[in-house]
Amino acid sequence: MSPLITCRKLHKRFGAIEVLRDINLEVHTGEVVVIVGPSGSGKSTLLRCLNVLEPISGGELEVGGKRLGDRRTRKRDIRRETGMVFQQFNLFPHMTARENVMLGPRKVRRQSRREAAALADRLLDRVGLADRSHHYPSELSGGQQQRVAIARALAVNPRVMLFDEPTSALDPELRGEVLQVMQGLAAEGMTMLIVTHEMRFAADVASRLIFMDEGRILHDGDPKVLFESPPSDRFRDFLRHVQT
Amino acid sequence: MDFRWDVVWNALPQMVDGAQLTAQITLLGIGGGLIIGTLCGLVTAFRVPILHWLVFAYVSVIRGTPIVVQAMFIYFALPLALDITLSGFAAASLCLAMNAGAYITEIVRGAVQSIDKGLQDAGLALGMSYPQVLLSIVGPLAFRRTIPPLGNQFIISLKDSALFLVIGVAELAQKGEQLTAQTGRALEIWTAVAVFYLIMTFTLAMIMRLIERRMRIL
Repeated sequence: MSPLITCRKLHKRFGAIEVLRDINLEVHTGEVVVIVGPSGSGKSTLLRCLNVLEPISGGELEVGGKRLGDRRTRKRDIRRETGMVFQQFNLFPHMTARENVMLGPRKVRRQSRREAAALADRLLDRVGLADRSHHYPSELSGGQQQRVAIARALAVNPRVMLFDEPTSALDPELRGEVLQVMQGLAAEGMTMLIVTHEMRFAADVASRLIFMDEGRILHDGDPKVLFESPPSDRFRDFLRHVQT
Repeated sequence: MDFRWDVVWNALPQMVDGAQLTAQITLLGIGGGLIIGTLCGLVTAFRVPILHWLVFAYVSVIRGTPIVVQAMFIYFALPLALDITLSGFAAASLCLAMNAGAYITEIVRGAVQSIDKGLQDAGLALGMSYPQVLLSIVGPLAFRRTIPPLGNQFIISLKDSALFLVIGVAELAQKGEQLTAQTGRALEIWTAVAVFYLIMTFTLAMIMRLIERRMRIL
């Protein structure tokens, strides 16, 4: 089966600064890929390139059979294959939880209000927030907001979910509820790419671990093997820093 | 000096006329200013090529000159240059619209630019088109943020309309001057004029407060 995401020689530059260099990556359906690395190593930028929120500077990108640069492929077509969860949640503050989840299906999938509402209720139930559907984001805790954001991303029925440090803005006691939802998704077979500093979660849930440093993929492999015997000093240093 | 209520009483009909004209000029001025300001504000917020330089020039000229000079220019100089005649009422309304438009341009630009980029990203990431993101997310949020500063600008415009007495428009302040000359009772007339303005600005402020409360300001 052909991979769901393919990057070949992907480059990203911000002015003179090279943020991503020569990224080659294939992700297959059902994989749960956790991306770790020091800050500034390009993890978040990589995710944002995969759904073209950042335009790439060079190389090839193909998501769900849609190639960036093909005349028939719009950025939107690639974004519809991916769902994204942001560090700062980015819920629409003028909409209730339910309306937040409904917006994608309504605007992107052209669903009727009734269909979208039914879908939203189902997804909010799935993230454990059925009783919060009429609350505005400002009335929800950080953990609840992030779970609404996950439901919102799922609502357009993406083939892969991108998580950009989904628990970094949360108080420690609220992280568990978000990680639990993510673990549930992984168990259901959702393809996921997760940038995180949660090493326990990485070890428990990831089917594959990527270590990035200075815009490159330094290691890419089985998390158990990588964690047990770090193949480089850089990675060993990094692990020591995050674990203290 | 005693306060002669009969002077106020006799002047009331004329003052009501003046207040009506003030209200009309103000409504036309802020209505026109809203249209100008919304269009120009969007042009600068999205840096529409070439046009945003024109808007920049327009805002700079209006903000950089006193509104009295603008009124004089529109009433006396512009008709000469363009070979047209403008009534005092038309010149006043146009002047106020142009003036309010420049400040509202800045209000709209500020509101649009204050919307968190992350919300735009969230909309785009769902696969929405850019116009959809503007219509369903950025627009409604920016609109809410314009309400408090707009209320402020409306009140400023209402009060600015007083200076159109320099071009002989029979609005409230000009009536005040006229009535003072007729009666020689400055204390009664100007007190009454001030109370009229206060009632109008207070009403405007209450309306804006109501709109603000109706909408969740975010």
